[in-house]
Amino acid sequence: MHRIDCPWCGTRDEAEFQYQGDATATRPAPDAAEADFFDYVYSRDNPKGWHIEWWHHVGGCRQWVKVVRNTMTHEIHATGGPQSKLSVPKPSGSRLR
Amino acid sequence: MADFKPLHPLGNLDELVEKHSFFGPGSAAITIGVRKSVECAQLFAGNGNQAKIAKKLNFDSSTGKATETKGFTALPIAPGQWILISKNSAPGFADGVAKSINGLGYLSQQSDSRICLRVSGPKARELMSRGCRLDLHESHSGAGFCAQTVMAQIGVILHQLDDNPTYELYLYAGFARSFFHWLSHSAAQFGCDIEIISNQIKR
Repeated sequence: MHRIDCPWCGTRDEAEFQYQGDATATRPAPDAAEADFFDYVYSRDNPKGWHIEWWHHVGGCRQWVKVVRNTMTHEIHATGGPQSKLSVPKPSGSRLR
Repeated sequence: MADFKPLHPLGNLDELVEKHSFFGPGSAAITIGVRKSVECAQLFAGNGNQAKIAKKLNFDSSTGKATETKGFTALPIAPGQWILISKNSAPGFADGVAKSINGLGYLSQQSDSRICLRVSGPKARELMSRGCRLDLHESHSGAGFCAQTVMAQIGVILHQLDDNPTYELYLYAGFARSFFHWLSHSAAQFGCDIEIISNQIKR
């Protein structure tokens, strides 16, 4: 179970949130090739380790929360609003990326 | 013309009390109070007007805490959004508030959309803790604590009125029967009575 720190509500249980996928996917320019749009809509990595992702606080304030989470350990490193620039923690010599 | 009468979303409240109450006043571990009606409105602050609106209407714009003003209780539900619950259920309550915010935000009348259930009694905290994932320990949530959350997969706004504790739950009228079914069954293990609360709120 995750406890996610919503920037507005404070720490809340995972059950109030909906997972909304990769937060690093950026929309291509309007004149980009169809293949780029296909990638943007459908192609996702399946990283082992740190991942920046969207969680929608649908059972609470209905805001979108950006979460840096480790897909191996479920550790949550940082959370923020949609505008916040979050990065994954630097490797500390552990075998986890 | 047929003679229409307003019906509570939970149906006939007298029948509800008769069906679910076994203990008598003050002796059940849980008392579920059903408010006859709720006069409320949802307030959205316009861009950047959050603090201005809070000042104008005289309430605290901080999160996680309900504020009492003379005419209503403001329950924060999201950034720049509040549910305002009228204290005396006066008709036209929303019109009065709309006048005083004067273009700083948007107000929508919500009185028929929600019902209010008041949960009290010595086991109230235990019942609520089992129902939702909020931290309801007294060290964390005292009188005035307010949060929007999920209970029995239904969205509710929980407002703690006092340190006894007494809780008020606001939920959409369409979920009233389903939620009440869950709540009364969950409360049955402790012993539960139902009461009707008239529109005038005594605090």
